[in-house]
Amino acid sequence: MPSYDGQSDPTLLNAINGGLIVLDANERVLQWNVWLEVASGLAQAQVRGKTLTEIFPAANLRRLTYAVPAALKSSASTILTHSLNPALLPLHTRAGRPLLHDITVSPLAGPPQPTCLVFITDVTMATRRERYLRDQQNARYDAVVGSAPDVILTIDEAGVIQLANPAAIAQFGYGNSELVGMTAAALFETGDEWNEVCTKAFEGGAPSRPELLAVRKDGSRTHLEASASRWTSGTRNFVTVILRDVNERRAKNAALRTSEEEARDVAAALAELNENLEQRVQERTGQLMKAEEALRQSQKMESIGNLTGGIAHDFNNLLQVIGGNLALLRRDVLGNAAAEQRVRNAHDAVRRSAKLSSQLLAFARRQTLDPKVINLGRFLHELEDMIRKAVGEGVTVETATAPGIWNTLIDPGNVENAILNLAINARDAMDGQGLLRIQASNTFLDSDYVLANEEAIRGEYVLLAISDTGSGMTPEVIAQAFEPFFTTKEEGKGTGLGLSMVYGFVKQSGGHIRIDSVPGQGTTIKLYLPRSTQTEERLVNLDSMPVEGGTEMVLVAEDDEQVRETVVAMLSDLGYRVIKAKDAQSALVIIESGMPVDLLFTDVIMPGPLKSTELANKARERIPNLGVLFTSGYTEDAMATSGRLDANIELLKKPYARETLARKVRHVLGNAAQRKSARAISRSAPASAAAAVAAPKRLHVLVCEDDPLIRETLIEVLRSAGHEATPAADGRTALSILASKSPDVLLTDVGLPDMSGTALAHQARTRIPGLAIVFASGAAVNAVLPGSRAVRTLTKPFSFESLLATIDAIATE
Amino acid sequence: MRNALPVVLSELQLDALTELVNLGVSNAALSLREMVREEVVLSVPKVAVVTREAAIASLGEHESSRLVAVQQDFEGAIRGRALLIFPEAKSMELVRAVVGGDLSLEEIMELEQEALAETGNVLLNGCLGTIANSLERTLRISLPEVVHGEGSDLFALAPAHAGDGVLFIYINFAVKRRAIGGYIAMLLDLPSLVALQDLLSAFILRSTGVMAALSHAEL
Repeated sequence: MPSYDGQSDPTLLNAINGGLIVLDANERVLQWNVWLEVASGLAQAQVRGKTLTEIFPAANLRRLTYAVPAALKSSASTILTHSLNPALLPLHTRAGRPLLHDITVSPLAGPPQPTCLVFITDVTMATRRERYLRDQQNARYDAVVGSAPDVILTIDEAGVIQLANPAAIAQFGYGNSELVGMTAAALFETGDEWNEVCTKAFEGGAPSRPELLAVRKDGSRTHLEASASRWTSGTRNFVTVILRDVNERRAKNAALRTSEEEARDVAAALAELNENLEQRVQERTGQLMKAEEALRQSQKMESIGNLTGGIAHDFNNLLQVIGGNLALLRRDVLGNAAAEQRVRNAHDAVRRSAKLSSQLLAFARRQTLDPKVINLGRFLHELEDMIRKAVGEGVTVETATAPGIWNTLIDPGNVENAILNLAINARDAMDGQGLLRIQASNTFLDSDYVLANEEAIRGEYVLLAISDTGSGMTPEVIAQAFEPFFTTKEEGKGTGLGLSMVYGFVKQSGGHIRIDSVPGQGTTIKLYLPRSTQTEERLVNLDSMPVEGGTEMVLVAEDDEQVRETVVAMLSDLGYRVIKAKDAQSALVIIESGMPVDLLFTDVIMPGPLKSTELANKARERIPNLGVLFTSGYTEDAMATSGRLDANIELLKKPYARETLARKVRHVLGNAAQRKSARAISRSAPASAAAAVAAPKRLHVLVCEDDPLIRETLIEVLRSAGHEATPAADGRTALSILASKSPDVLLTDVGLPDMSGTALAHQARTRIPGLAIVFASGAAVNAVLPGSRAVRTLTKPFSFESLLATIDAIATE
Repeated sequence: MRNALPVVLSELQLDALTELVNLGVSNAALSLREMVREEVVLSVPKVAVVTREAAIASLGEHESSRLVAVQQDFEGAIRGRALLIFPEAKSMELVRAVVGGDLSLEEIMELEQEALAETGNVLLNGCLGTIANSLERTLRISLPEVVHGEGSDLFALAPAHAGDGVLFIYINFAVKRRAIGGYIAMLLDLPSLVALQDLLSAFILRSTGVMAALSHAEL
């Protein structure tokens, strides 16, 4: 091989359309042609004597650095294509674009002075054409194979997957690099079936579309239908297989078969149904008749109730007249002992009649109820002793309360009455010897029950069951048991009103009552009392509180001497200064004489031309802030016939305990004083407002107070001090306001017409734990509420300054 | 006579040759690493000198499918043709290993020629270059060319001067967990085979100081 000395005619070198570099034994440049000068921007003079690494320090010459020594030392030629070795040298075309190039390195002169030749060819045009074609191909590919919903696999003659489309990846769960190179048969449950498909395809045979069971990466199976076709590329043969998911088709076919089966089953059931039709018609008729019977029964009770109530009502009016006249007559016959005695006898009779008529009213569901939310379990427990005393020693009394027993909204006095009545009935049925069981539990009356018992209403109830081991009742007796005056007892024993009263009371309270009995074994009376989701009113708490008295002046108007004396004694005992009057007229005289009476305590029914309500009105004209407390055994005048207390009328029901009297008196006196200061406020309101200190922070106060004057005044005071105030006349209104708005403070009276203030506060705190609570009360309030925020009390009568001070204190806490 | 081996290498010579080939191949592996970003494991389990027929037969036995080969001619102290041969089916895997796996089938096939050419180039250069250097001789090695066909086709393409002897090298290369088994075949004419023997003896002497027993097969 002739050695190259680098001084030959460069014309040839420079005419060649490609880059030429001659490197010496030390890899240094001997020759660098013009083409390369243009392409690299480096003149021969700049690069002579340097190595390629020195000339192109920034370039990564990669395999070029191996190729040069291989050519020099081993005489090996190396090819470095652009495709696999892109942009080895930083070359540019005349247009300034990157010059894509292939490089070959070959030995030139052999040892002892080896040289090698680096030849560079421009492949830019060819590459661009390739890229264009490739892009076209890719576009076509994507359009079809890439986006096809079916699996497309290309396998070579060895059965190896060479291509897998995105659908294949999605279907099988393998990545692209896992699928490509995998033997396709591995994807199928039985490789044989698959192999058959491929073999047939490679042979170019008739196409078939077999269903194959494929296995995914996660092991789950899927049914695919295969269609395969062969194609050739160069010298190679490939088969492309399209695999269609046929799971849905199979499922549909299976479903079709199932529905055919189902249709057959339905036909069979229908046939059976027809056979039973007659039997079921009979059953239904029986049910209907029972329901009709129940309806008749309730209608009967209803009409008896109406009749009784009407009579009792009229009867009461007549009794009033008789009683009133008798009271007057007693005065007239003073001194005539015989006459006095006769009058007393008649009066007694009137009293007993009044009691009778009130019992009838109870049956007729027309009595005044004062319902409270109570827990019957606790109630029963407290009643146990009294029950035991009532039934005597021969009867064993067992009481049981289910755990988690619900509360119920019921008049406690009436419940007590009912239980006692039923206990006594049971004792009589057992002849004083046996077992009396009283149980309280939660229960639900469902649609079926309601259908069979017309009067019942579907819902949740507290069941109070009183059972005895007595003589029991026959169905005929049960049918009449609730009717007034119906009794199986001997003449003179019992009024026959007990059960009817219980019936009336339960129904008036929204409940349901039934009797279950087996003659000779015993009877169970079941009282279903509607569930209340409200919290229990702690009657006990209030009762156990210290009884508070006072020093105010109370005017007692009561015609019955015994009653009057008793009341006077009780009130004096509580510390009040008491004046007594025998009737309304004399009471009015006392008031008009200028006595500074604070409270008028009067019976509703009194003899004389002046009615107690008129007395109250007239008295209020004279003493505007007079507290008025009515008392009555039954209600008539001034009471709504719905049986509930009218707002703003303070009523103390007879009979009342000392504590109840004391509480009620304090309550009325407190309100009266409050009204007095409220009047003072409203008169001096403008001045006071001007002098009012601006609230440090504006609060929204919900004011719950049933007395309208007090309520409106409180609102006025709060608003003039810059707070927002919303009124509510009772607990329910207050709660509905709480549901829609978010006040900061709840200011409530303790005694509200529909619930106690503590119960309202409890519910309010449950809904809004951060709500500030202020009780307005005549006495201190002992309440345990949810939430950790302190509770404040304003004792009536309170000044408006103390109210605002309390609100301010809340604002800054 | 055509079935008999013209020249028989002694065991020692064969061992020496195997060692040289191993050396050459590991040199090649380094360069191959540049191309393939993954680990390439090359090993040479067996080296044999056989007749052309035997070589073709061997290829036919082990590889049922079509073959692809990269060939480079060489001249100098010995002359002939070197072939890197492996099954066509495996070539795609090799190409993928070299160019990366995310290309489409078409792209792979497009680049196949270049990838095979360059891979073969590196391997053969390494082998031949090392053998030449160790034997202290120079060989001029041509640029690579890719050919497809059956065993007989590959060997039939040999130039006129290629002889009846085939230095048959079984070579294993594993790329990316996939083992690709192939062969390097060096087709040598008779003078070249003789020359090779002499060169091997000299090498052995230099390396071990041991005289290798020379044997000439009967012609």
